[in-house]
Amino acid sequence: MSNSLARQRSYWNKVRFVGIVIFAIAILLPLAYVILVSLTPDTEVGGGAILPTHIAWNNYVMMWSTVHLARDIVNSVIIAGLTGVCSTIVALGAAYVVSRFRFKGRKPFMFSLISMQTIPQVMMLLPLFVIIVIIQNVLNVHLVGQYYTIIITYMTFALPFACWLLLSYMANIPVELEEAAQMDGCTRAQVVYHVVLPLILPGLVVTFVFSFLLGWSDVLFASVLTTPSTQTVAVGLQAYMSSSDAGGAVYWGQLMAASLTSGVPIVVIFLFFQKYIIGGLANGAVKG
Amino acid sequence: MENADVTKLAPAKSRSNERHVRNRPPYWMVIPAVVLLILIVVAPFLVSIYTSFTKLDQYTIANWTHAPFVGLKNYISAFRQGNAIGASALQSLWVSVAFSVLTTVCITPIGIVAALLVNKPFRGRALVRALFLLPYVMPIFVNAITWRLLFMNGWGLIDRVLSALHLASKNTYWLIGPHSFWAMVIADVWSSWPFIYLMVLAGLQGIPGDLYESAHMDGASPTRSFFSITLPMLRPILGLALLLSTLNHFNNFTLPFIMFGTPPSPQADVLPLNVYVTSFQTFNFGLGAAMSLITLVLMLIPAFFYIRMLRLGEDVS
Repeated sequence: MSNSLARQRSYWNKVRFVGIVIFAIAILLPLAYVILVSLTPDTEVGGGAILPTHIAWNNYVMMWSTVHLARDIVNSVIIAGLTGVCSTIVALGAAYVVSRFRFKGRKPFMFSLISMQTIPQVMMLLPLFVIIVIIQNVLNVHLVGQYYTIIITYMTFALPFACWLLLSYMANIPVELEEAAQMDGCTRAQVVYHVVLPLILPGLVVTFVFSFLLGWSDVLFASVLTTPSTQTVAVGLQAYMSSSDAGGAVYWGQLMAASLTSGVPIVVIFLFFQKYIIGGLANGAVKG
Repeated sequence: MENADVTKLAPAKSRSNERHVRNRPPYWMVIPAVVLLILIVVAPFLVSIYTSFTKLDQYTIANWTHAPFVGLKNYISAFRQGNAIGASALQSLWVSVAFSVLTTVCITPIGIVAALLVNKPFRGRALVRALFLLPYVMPIFVNAITWRLLFMNGWGLIDRVLSALHLASKNTYWLIGPHSFWAMVIADVWSSWPFIYLMVLAGLQGIPGDLYESAHMDGASPTRSFFSITLPMLRPILGLALLLSTLNHFNNFTLPFIMFGTPPSPQADVLPLNVYVTSFQTFNFGLGAAMSLITLVLMLIPAFFYIRMLRLGEDVS
């Protein structure tokens, strides 16, 4: 019996090993090819050989001027960062009230939050654009391409998501702690600041990170609402590539280098906070 | 300090005050979210409905309330074949449905297998788990650029490998023409399978281990255990995952937009992309709004099931 179990176990271990290797190859091969092309001199991309004759580190230097990478990354950081901050703060208040109080309109509010997440983004873009044009005409100001316009429109998708995420974190915080603080005479604002805030901090971080990632990855809104001086890195790369559709020359090596440069920080942030997410959940469980 | 003083001065009154404060929601905290959501979601939504009945274009946008009212004309022309430069809405609709259903069907077994591979502890598991998340964590536009490169005609890795294996011509055009649909599906499957993987992994945590032990005692093989224990126990979370995956894939704009540019070939012209081109490149805002409302109505079908599955508001915190 135990012998058959051992044999069975070693068989499934082998199966697992082979499976993981297949997955690893499937995941890494495309990325390895991108890294390879990012190090290939422009003259050799598209040539007969896969491996370049020499490694063109130069691509990682030239890319900064070819696609305005620095400017675009700064724009992405500002826009995605402020989208994350604003969404998280506004959502915190909403999530607190909705999770702690029963009031008229609570259920409709929750229903609309979840419905908003299922609305196709492309549907919101056009009317948002129309509204922005109206405000521009009425107030005689310029809104398209401004940071605050883009950030507010990004909250169309980031805010319902942030509310929903914080609601689930809020549910894990025991109400008794707040009641105790109130017995001691804390005002509502003091309760939120001294009791809720420290406990919800991991949730806030996760909400910020996710809203940031949503903002960083958006192409749809940014492609309509940004101007060249405020365009995000996603739009910058897309615009550079579409010049190849128009017949322009594309430096594939530099494009791949730039693409990796805009993706790797996100991967690092995510892998870093992945532990934070799990740790935060564990802490919450211990404290609760 | 201040609080202590208050209780000392008027204990009885403060007590009743406290009750009152505790029971009245601090509306000022929720108002910013409500106002913002009305401004950036509800108002645009209403504008979109109105716009879909007008002939709004780049000439009338400055004075949009005076755009000619055309009734259902936009909805009718959305379904007429070959009206815009790309595919008609009807054709795009089928592309989108096929795309979202096909990718969901493909990623489900992949995600389940991946989750089973890393469910039991082994050396280096943390590393493998991080690796499995990589395609999902990469911004979707980076994935799209990656696959555009891989599918490049003639010198992309896929054409090179396929021609070396004598499976296809080196000049298989993946990014234009009928193959573009498959290029889109392959790229999307590669990018999105970790979503199912994550959901299944979470579901596996909830299955008690003694179920497997007793099954083993009864002589059940691991394969049998999988089909009799794992799969039935995963059903609720898998249902949610499939629904969300279908919703997300239907709305995927970034991947085809970056992989194919605009306008894409009709085989890869998904509905969100078609709406985008109609609205912002041919400036047919009214038609675009009508098409996006059609999209919304279709999205309501899976969304309805999704909201019902969440059992909203029944939780008591």
